[in-house]
Amino acid sequence: MHGKFDDLGRFADPSVLILTSLSDGPKHGYAIMTDVSGFSGVAMEPGTLYGALSRLERRGWIRPLDGGERRRPYEITAAGQEVLAEQLRSMQQIVRTGRQRTATA
Amino acid sequence: MTPALADRLCRVLVGCYPSRWKRRYAEELLDVLDQHRAGRRTVLSLAVGALSTHLDPDYRMEIHLMPRLSRDAWMGVGIAVTVPACVLAIVVVPQIFKNISESHWHPSNGGAVGTIAFSRDQRILVSAAGGPPWSATSTLWNVTDQARPRRLSEFEGGNPTTISPDGRTAATSAFGGQPALWNVTRPRHPAREAVLSAGFSGGLWGEAFSPDGRVLAAASTSEVVLWNVANPARPRLLHTLAAAPLQTGNPGNFDVGDGDLVFSPNGHLLASASGGDQVTLWNVTRPAQPTRIATLTGPRDYFTALAFSPGDNLLAGVTYHGSVRVFRLTGPAAPLTVSTRRGILARARFSGGQRSPSSPCGPGCDVTASYALEFTPDGHALTVMINRPEPYPSTSDRDTVFTWQVASSGALSDLTTFFRNVSDVQPTLAPGDRIVADGSMLNGGVHLWTLPGLRP
Repeated sequence: MHGKFDDLGRFADPSVLILTSLSDGPKHGYAIMTDVSGFSGVAMEPGTLYGALSRLERRGWIRPLDGGERRRPYEITAAGQEVLAEQLRSMQQIVRTGRQRTATA
Repeated sequence: MTPALADRLCRVLVGCYPSRWKRRYAEELLDVLDQHRAGRRTVLSLAVGALSTHLDPDYRMEIHLMPRLSRDAWMGVGIAVTVPACVLAIVVVPQIFKNISESHWHPSNGGAVGTIAFSRDQRILVSAAGGPPWSATSTLWNVTDQARPRRLSEFEGGNPTTISPDGRTAATSAFGGQPALWNVTRPRHPAREAVLSAGFSGGLWGEAFSPDGRVLAAASTSEVVLWNVANPARPRLLHTLAAAPLQTGNPGNFDVGDGDLVFSPNGHLLASASGGDQVTLWNVTRPAQPTRIATLTGPRDYFTALAFSPGDNLLAGVTYHGSVRVFRLTGPAAPLTVSTRRGILARARFSGGQRSPSSPCGPGCDVTASYALEFTPDGHALTVMINRPEPYPSTSDRDTVFTWQVASSGALSDLTTFFRNVSDVQPTLAPGDRIVADGSMLNGGVHLWTLPGLRP
């Protein structure tokens, strides 16, 4: 189901939220947390956030920008946009199937 | 688990991450913790994060030097090592507490001071230096000795900033423009207790504590929100008051001083600047059920500083272009305008004593001024301060102090004027006293002085 997200393990879902958050512009850590909370209701904790951020950066899906050591903003890369789009398509398929099956149940 | 304990544990756990990971991410993670209210989930997420990072092949450098083990065996080794290490770290928290202080935010000292507030006993002063939200600071000062104010600490904050009457809680602006509460009972180590995010929209421009310190009012451009902050760690939203949107004509509305949102001395009334030329007066005797008493109109100019008289029966305001107006609060529904003095800005002087700046300045220069306004403790006089800075790059300013005698009816008489050359901006008058605090335009500093002839 997850495709390229498979080997992110427990960081797969936070990664989708982070990439979604960064899709409308660069943000630093705390701004990502508040944004994710705002659009999804998920209260992401700092340990989860930075576990996912380090993995996303290593895969080249996000990149850090200059902004000081303590409030370094991150932006999504082209590769990140591609895997996010792929993941969202997959999730959309699940939503569609789920709706169909619950409607006929 | 208390937030303070959770915060300490979190910072210990950040130290448990692999060294290489810490070099890259620890500062950022600590910055997030500075802004995040830590709890059990935060501690757990960091404990699991530290453990899983140790198990991450990219950070498991020693693996090449040791016998090859299965993934499960490595996980067992990791747990066996990391869990006791974390427990040990928790046990020795008191010993390593000093190291934790390294994670405190280290702001710069720069920027123009925008707001200044005194504790009721006038021993502690808090100032806020401007700048963008990610670099704005608040500073606590010990001003017991006015000749030698001592800087106690700096912490993340920014305009507006105020301090509770008992000097135990500071209210600042958090990242994102929401009010934040700081525990400053240990003034060298302020600790953020809460960010007040419920029911607030628009730019935050003013904050005020009620005289008993139990209620915090915070004003945005279009509303005033009341919180019960009797327990600052657990603030409760009380009510949102809708007022006419503030129209200052200034970008962002952030250069409005903090004197334009004030409680009356008995705590029953709240006055807030609103609209283009109004003051909205609220009855907050029962802060969970406040009511609007009246909307007072100014002389077609917005109010930049407000003050109640010690007897709660007069409200004075000064507008951005230099008009003073006194309202008599005779009845709850019908305040009267009893005095208006126009054109005091034109009577304020620049640093050389002249009525115009010593060098030419661009459009809008003639209205650049900062104001402070207070009644004397006996309520018999009203003081209005105007600070007029010379055009950039000069740092010379002049404070002009107007003092009127005030009759019990609110009528003003017997104007006296006093001038003083300064090199700072943003004057503030200590409530109930004659101390003036001038906030520096350049380095975040505060300069204190006393109005002459009015204090032994």
